[in-house]
Amino acid sequence: MLGYALLAGLVFGLYFSLVGLGLNLVFGVMRIVNLAHGDFLMLGAFGAFWLFGIAHVNPIVTAFLALPVFIALGFPLYYLVVPRLLRAKDPEMLSIILFFGLSQVIEALATIGFGPSERSIPGRVLGSGPVSLFGQSFPSAWMVSGVASGLAVLGVYLYLYRTRLGYLTRAVMVHREEALATGIDVHRVSAIAFGVGLALAAIAGVFAPFMLGSATPAMGVDLNIQSFAVIVVGSLGNPLGTVLGGIVYGVSLMFMQTYFSSWANLLPYLLLILILLVRPSGLLGRQVRRA
Amino acid sequence: MLRKLILGLFAAALTISGSGARAAGAPAEIKIGTLYAASGNFAAISMPVHYGLKLWVDQMNAEGGVYVKPYNKKIPIKLIAYDDQSNTATAATLYNQLITQDKVDILVADSGSVLTSVAVPIARDHKMLLIDQTGTGAAFFSKDNPYIVLMSDPVSSIWPKYIADFLTSDGVKLGIKRIALLYSTNDFTGTQANAVRGFIKAANAPVEIVYDQGVPTNTTSYTVIINNISAANPDAVIALGYPNNDISYLRNLQDSGVKYKWQFAIYPGLETEHLEKTVGAKGLEYVYTYTPSSVLEYKAEFGMSLPQFRAAWNKKYGEGKVSFGFNSVAGYTTGLVLQKALAGTESMDQLALRKAIFALSGKLKTIDGSFELDETGAQIGEITPLGQIVPDGKGGLKFVVVYPHDVATGKPVYPAK
Repeated sequence: MLGYALLAGLVFGLYFSLVGLGLNLVFGVMRIVNLAHGDFLMLGAFGAFWLFGIAHVNPIVTAFLALPVFIALGFPLYYLVVPRLLRAKDPEMLSIILFFGLSQVIEALATIGFGPSERSIPGRVLGSGPVSLFGQSFPSAWMVSGVASGLAVLGVYLYLYRTRLGYLTRAVMVHREEALATGIDVHRVSAIAFGVGLALAAIAGVFAPFMLGSATPAMGVDLNIQSFAVIVVGSLGNPLGTVLGGIVYGVSLMFMQTYFSSWANLLPYLLLILILLVRPSGLLGRQVRRA
Repeated sequence: MLRKLILGLFAAALTISGSGARAAGAPAEIKIGTLYAASGNFAAISMPVHYGLKLWVDQMNAEGGVYVKPYNKKIPIKLIAYDDQSNTATAATLYNQLITQDKVDILVADSGSVLTSVAVPIARDHKMLLIDQTGTGAAFFSKDNPYIVLMSDPVSSIWPKYIADFLTSDGVKLGIKRIALLYSTNDFTGTQANAVRGFIKAANAPVEIVYDQGVPTNTTSYTVIINNISAANPDAVIALGYPNNDISYLRNLQDSGVKYKWQFAIYPGLETEHLEKTVGAKGLEYVYTYTPSSVLEYKAEFGMSLPQFRAAWNKKYGEGKVSFGFNSVAGYTTGLVLQKALAGTESMDQLALRKAIFALSGKLKTIDGSFELDETGAQIGEITPLGQIVPDGKGGLKFVVVYPHDVATGKPVYPAK
């Protein structure tokens, strides 16, 4: 049971890395808290459900489609709200209020559009039968979702550390005003990062019906809490710390389900309290300002 | 002659003024206050109930209103409904608002035990009779609280009786000895889990519970839990959860390639259409479940028959965003019980309403079965036979009632194919 929980935790954790990655990228670049992050994830899930329902589009194809669509969606949304927020005295707090409102609007519209019930996509779409890993069998949909999450994380790493745009993004993360002073088009870089953040949420959402069983318009709230736990454990503002946070979260959740299943929903809060007491800057906290 | 005429006119004037006074005392509308969850974890079980109730209200109003005995006339219904978003704190505020601000004549709870639980003390404090639609938590009902009555479902402690009876009698003959019990930690399923343990213990049969774990109601991943259950090597697995739990559990079971010889889950029976859409027909094959009123087709002596209700539902809510099933029948049944109670009550006083509803016990048969209450207001009439979902040979699924024997329509398939 221990080995199975560990392996399942790693796969689940990889997925949760992707769930939290977009939220942390947006926070790292703009220092704003996107409380509608879970709702963009939900939109990705319903997008996959809708495309599969009307044209049997494979969710992997939908994941690729989500990237340009949500980056494009992120651009106008960024210019509509973020520059105004950043001019405020307390953008972090204001962003929480603003994106909470946006979250409510998205959830309400999704409920009107899709109804309140759970929606899902058959697991066989991502492969039939279980897959063996180190002698343990796991649903193939889990493995595909885990691999897709790993590739998305790798993509973010390459974007941040191997592209010119990534260098500029990291410069903005380190010091927004200094980046502006050096002639970087801070708003353009931030808008792209904002769009990428939304796209990562949407890609995670595409795989949500397979990892979380189903999708509902209300799923965003729970996912926000889990995402916060993941990014705070990893380190707020450090996108790659999210990978570590996700794996810690995933493995801990599977251990909780194995040994203290009734208390498993306390895990995000326990992790948050523990990390804030022991290492407030997160596991990779030191690297925040050296991005 | 003149004297007779004057007396006659006087008597007629008295009669007219009497009936006039009676009509003037009648309210312009009967206010029914209720909550529903349009979003959140309980939306899937709340909206069908609410839509079922709304369908009855619309039907009544189309006929000029509901007949109310104390006023001897039909009065239109005003349904005051607020969205509690599946949030118990919001629900508590809104229940208070319905009572103190809207001053509703009849208070109807939201669907399910979680959102009903907050209404129970509020209704009692305000001496309002709580029309409990589907909140079946056993703790809601006590002899010292006359302000609650359960409309549609049997109280949770009764639901799993036939599961336990089957496992400890027919199950033993089939070779079932080891039972796994997985449940969500809420009033509805927690009460059922307790009842299962109690029934099995009382039966003193050669079966043992080898796995007994609760999970939070918002659990969405069961792969590790399924692996843990398998490690206990059970012959039968009872999974008690809400729709989101059942969907995730049955999907994870199917995706993991695990097939238990005997598998029970609640919502494949109660919300079959919804589960078929989300889990898939393959994932529901050979699963045991409660056989709901939406399948059994009880002979209704009052209100629409099941096919008529189904047709009315499809006509009104044809878009399919809210699934037809056990919960939609429950909402409609609430309306039917209220209709009968208003036609029989001596006054609109809350305890008079309660008396009128209790007077229906054992005498009212709707599409939800026989309406029967115990002294605490808990529903005991509507049975939940054990059914098994099997392939119908045409690519679809069908129900086979396997227990109790007097209502059984077939034999259980064991072990599951």
